[in-house]
Amino acid sequence: MAFAMSANAIVESILQVLSAGILIGCLYGLMCTGLGVIFGVMRVINFAQGDLMMVGMYTAYFCFTAGLSTVLGAYAGAYVAVLCAGPALFALGYLIHLFLVSHVSGLRAIQHEGEGHHAQLMLTLGVALVLQNTGLILFGSEPKAIQTRLSSSAWALDAFDDVSVFVNKSRLLAAIISVAIAVALFAFINRARIGKSLRAAADNPQAAIYMGIDVDRAHRIAFALGSAATGIAGGLVATFYPFQPYIGFEYVIVMYAGVVFGGMGSIAGAFWGGLAIGLVQQLSTLLLPIQLQNTAIFVIFLLVIFLRPRGFFGRVAERT
Amino acid sequence: MRSLNWSSSLAGPLCFCLLFCLLAFFVTSPYYQLILTIVAVWAVMGLSWNLFSGYTGLISFGHAAFFGIGTYVVAISFSQYGLTPFLGILIAAALGAAAGFVIGLPTFRLRGHYFAMAMLAYPLALLYVFEWLGFQEVSLPMQREAPALYLQFSDQRAYTAIAVGFLFIIMVISRFVEQSRFGRSLLALKQDESAAEAAGIDTLRCKLVAIMLSGAIAAAIGGYYAVILLIVTPQTAFGLLTSAQALVVTLFGGIGTVWGPVIGASVLIPLSEVLHAKLGNALPGINGVVFGLAIIGAVLFAPEGIYWRFYDKLPRREGAGAPQSAVAHMSPEPLARIQPDGLATADMPRAANSPAPRMILEVRGLSKSFGGLRAIDNVSFSIEAGAVVGIIGPNGAGKTSLFNLLNGFTRPDAGSVLLDGREIIGERPNAICRSGVGRTFQVVRPFPRMTVLDNVTIGAYCVTKTATEADALARAATLTVGLENDARLPASGLTSRQLRLLELARALAGKPRILLLDETLAGLGAQEVEHLLAVIRHVASAGITIVIIEHTMHAMVRLVDRFIVLDHGTIIATGAPDTVTRNPLVIEAYLGKKWAGRA
Amino acid sequence: MLEIRNLTASYYGLVALSNVSIDLGTHDFVSVIGPNGAGKTTLFKTISGALEPDAGSIKLLGQELRLVRPCDRPHLGIAHVPEGRQVFATMSVLENLEMGAFTAAGQQAWKDSLDLIFSTFPILAERRNQLAGTLSGGEQQMLAISRGLASKPKLLMLDEPSMGLAPAVVEQIFERIRDIHHETEISILLVEQRVMEAMRLCRHGYVLESGRIRLQGSYDVLSQDDGIRRAYLGL
Repeated sequence: MAFAMSANAIVESILQVLSAGILIGCLYGLMCTGLGVIFGVMRVINFAQGDLMMVGMYTAYFCFTAGLSTVLGAYAGAYVAVLCAGPALFALGYLIHLFLVSHVSGLRAIQHEGEGHHAQLMLTLGVALVLQNTGLILFGSEPKAIQTRLSSSAWALDAFDDVSVFVNKSRLLAAIISVAIAVALFAFINRARIGKSLRAAADNPQAAIYMGIDVDRAHRIAFALGSAATGIAGGLVATFYPFQPYIGFEYVIVMYAGVVFGGMGSIAGAFWGGLAIGLVQQLSTLLLPIQLQNTAIFVIFLLVIFLRPRGFFGRVAERT
Repeated sequence: MRSLNWSSSLAGPLCFCLLFCLLAFFVTSPYYQLILTIVAVWAVMGLSWNLFSGYTGLISFGHAAFFGIGTYVVAISFSQYGLTPFLGILIAAALGAAAGFVIGLPTFRLRGHYFAMAMLAYPLALLYVFEWLGFQEVSLPMQREAPALYLQFSDQRAYTAIAVGFLFIIMVISRFVEQSRFGRSLLALKQDESAAEAAGIDTLRCKLVAIMLSGAIAAAIGGYYAVILLIVTPQTAFGLLTSAQALVVTLFGGIGTVWGPVIGASVLIPLSEVLHAKLGNALPGINGVVFGLAIIGAVLFAPEGIYWRFYDKLPRREGAGAPQSAVAHMSPEPLARIQPDGLATADMPRAANSPAPRMILEVRGLSKSFGGLRAIDNVSFSIEAGAVVGIIGPNGAGKTSLFNLLNGFTRPDAGSVLLDGREIIGERPNAICRSGVGRTFQVVRPFPRMTVLDNVTIGAYCVTKTATEADALARAATLTVGLENDARLPASGLTSRQLRLLELARALAGKPRILLLDETLAGLGAQEVEHLLAVIRHVASAGITIVIIEHTMHAMVRLVDRFIVLDHGTIIATGAPDTVTRNPLVIEAYLGKKWAGRA
Repeated sequence: MLEIRNLTASYYGLVALSNVSIDLGTHDFVSVIGPNGAGKTTLFKTISGALEPDAGSIKLLGQELRLVRPCDRPHLGIAHVPEGRQVFATMSVLENLEMGAFTAAGQQAWKDSLDLIFSTFPILAERRNQLAGTLSGGEQQMLAISRGLASKPKLLMLDEPSMGLAPAVVEQIFERIRDIHHETEISILLVEQRVMEAMRLCRHGYVLESGRIRLQGSYDVLSQDDGIRRAYLGL
């Protein structure tokens, strides 16, 4: 038990857990940002987000094993492969919206509040089932992983006295990439003209149409971007842990917990929410057995929904 | 409601179940027999889901929570305590109902996607908890002596027979609910929760009963499933595919009808099982793909399910959309055929005959702010019984806010509202309705597949105990508004005039003493307005007080005894139409100060 | 510029507009007045495309608008300043204006538009980085009008700009609208409940009631009789 350990050991394990939490939290942050973009702009509940992430994982894996590892070496190859998941998922998300999601979302659905939601939930549930089971058929159920040379080396940071924290090199790199992509996404949404048109379409779709913004197209871009972001996050997670086709669903709750925690509708909030969930997950290992880690996330999720549905990092001004 | 049509509602399910059993009798392969059993199981699960989500419109993605509880109750009670599954299933049902209550009470406060996500989270949380508790795999032991007492049979057909028996019972229960007041109340709240509340339906109670019933059935069939499979794992009990299957068979087959889940299960389960068997090795997970495609197809092409697709194509029983010869019903005279006991009861004195006018509604100092905005500011007025009063004012004056306060949808910050001397502030809308306040809404949303009369009958539930009473009130109300020839038409094809009359009839069926009409005339053509005016006058002549919000001034001025004019939440004028319409304050409110003051 | 002929539209099965015809020329100023429920906002919605009419035609510079997608109509030169402002509350004033200039014409004329906007509404220049949701009602109305101007329109449509605003602010807004009309070549279609403000500025006014045009004419003509009061109040 904890009290039998020395004070230093306690501090060390807390710091270790914190650093693990931050590292995985950055990846969760990017994952949630993807979902946050989709929900923030289109108000669509996307059950298939986890499975899109899974597709991202496999895309990265195949790019890596199919050639990039030989061409670019085991270090860079892995991360370039992960980045390749971006455009691939962008295209997939674009098509899914074009042919399927657009029929149950957009201006028509927003006008019929209640009915639109059910159709979105069910349609994306259908997409999720198709994706995960097609994955099973195509890839088999053996877990795969993206191994990089960095995976097994770590830096040791000496905090103070005898306390040192081990930071895995590949995980640190993955976290940095996550943050970089998230920042790029924010910059796009906040600075670029098209990015701003997405925010306008989210804020007030009818007014956006009055400005000449094609709201359907804006939604399509948002869906594609969200898919790409989550896909890249997935590829990065694939360098941490092994994965198999059904992994998507485990992460859907993580993503929704993060988005709800951060404030539904706030894209930056989604990132912070994801980070927070990562920390909660790792911190809970100090107190709970490993199987209940995800239960801790559910409990937080339910508490937030009941007690503070608008989240903690939400926007300042309300929508018109 | 007309008394339950026993023969026709039971004949269908009975035939189906007998045929099913007959089919099962001749199937010899144990594998196909198992498929038949499982079809019945999922049909029941779908019916359980339908009883809740199909009728209330609250989509549950977490019915696996109840199902899983049922499987584990039976599995654990049998394997660890030797309790026969016959009892185990009953206990499971009780626990399922309890779980429904515990889950429903907090979760019903959530709206829209929050509700859906919370429901999703429950079974998953349970899944992890059970894994952690060590129940990776619970198997039901084989019973050597008297296996039948423990629901174990060597002949697979017995399992099918029991499952079909189960199915029959649940189909009967569903039918019963469908045709009962409870079922109609559920449909009403699915359609429009506010209107249902205003019509006197206790929506929270209805939802709780529905989820408890649904939970009990899901848990019971879950328990039986454990008996069939003989092994229970957290994944099969609480997994997403379980919730998804309950949802999909109903969605695919038809939401809100007894036949939907049955059709869905009969088509999808064999399909996916056969695919899995034939192609499972080469294409593992093919059944998941099939379910996914079925959901996508259903959502895009038949959002309410196959059953309704075909139902809507069938020829109507009445002459399809034959326009009623409007003229014959528009003249005021035939409306005089009103049954007096259908409307205001005899003990209400008519305003014209009583010596001093009785104040049926007294509003004193009513105020309400929303955020920083004062929507209603210290409003006081009284309305005499039997009067026809119009509440008018420019846009944003607070007219609908006022109605919402009178009706119980919002609580005022200050002030009181006395109905015949009794304070009604703080009562819920359905209680206020029962006290005699009827209300219509601007957007009329009837239940499209129910007849006009059935729609009207919903309004009578809050003031009647038996089906015959409710039916009588509904007929009288329908007669009053002049829709008696259209009473058997399905509500989906009605014109806007008929819809307004339907809304009025529904409010009348609740035996109101005072009617709050919200923009009943908006958007109607001249002739239609005339007809509605005649009906409203007729209702008023029977002693019911009418308070009407309207924009269509040229109609209002001929209808009302007096106006109350609101602007920015306060009363700026009251009086007879011709005085009020020339009142400079009123002109200023409507046309602007400058116009009113021009030289 | 704008030619509306026999426009009929319904909303959830209720007839909202019935055989409405309106003409508006280059650099013209036309007002449509009427009480609530008259169909004024429905008229706007059909022109901007938010609602599909049942019958009739809407021609902008000879082009039939019913064949053009709603999100493409602003690119033809119509700016719509909707009822209730509808600013992008979570974006800054400047970003709102940028969205207003989303069209190609708007982007080209960005600098000049900004000059015009800031000289007409100096308060917006002061608050350019403030979130639009935190502006006062009057400031939001100014922003909404400016957003319309930013698209460098040929036709500016205003839907009840006075709604929910204090009288002094209303006065200010209408003065600015008059200025805009004098200083640019923009045509203006104004829908209003307040009669005087709308009639004084326009060349020609239409009185809409229960979906039909009851009266039309210039201020001098219409101010003569009791027709407008009767249209609003029924008696």
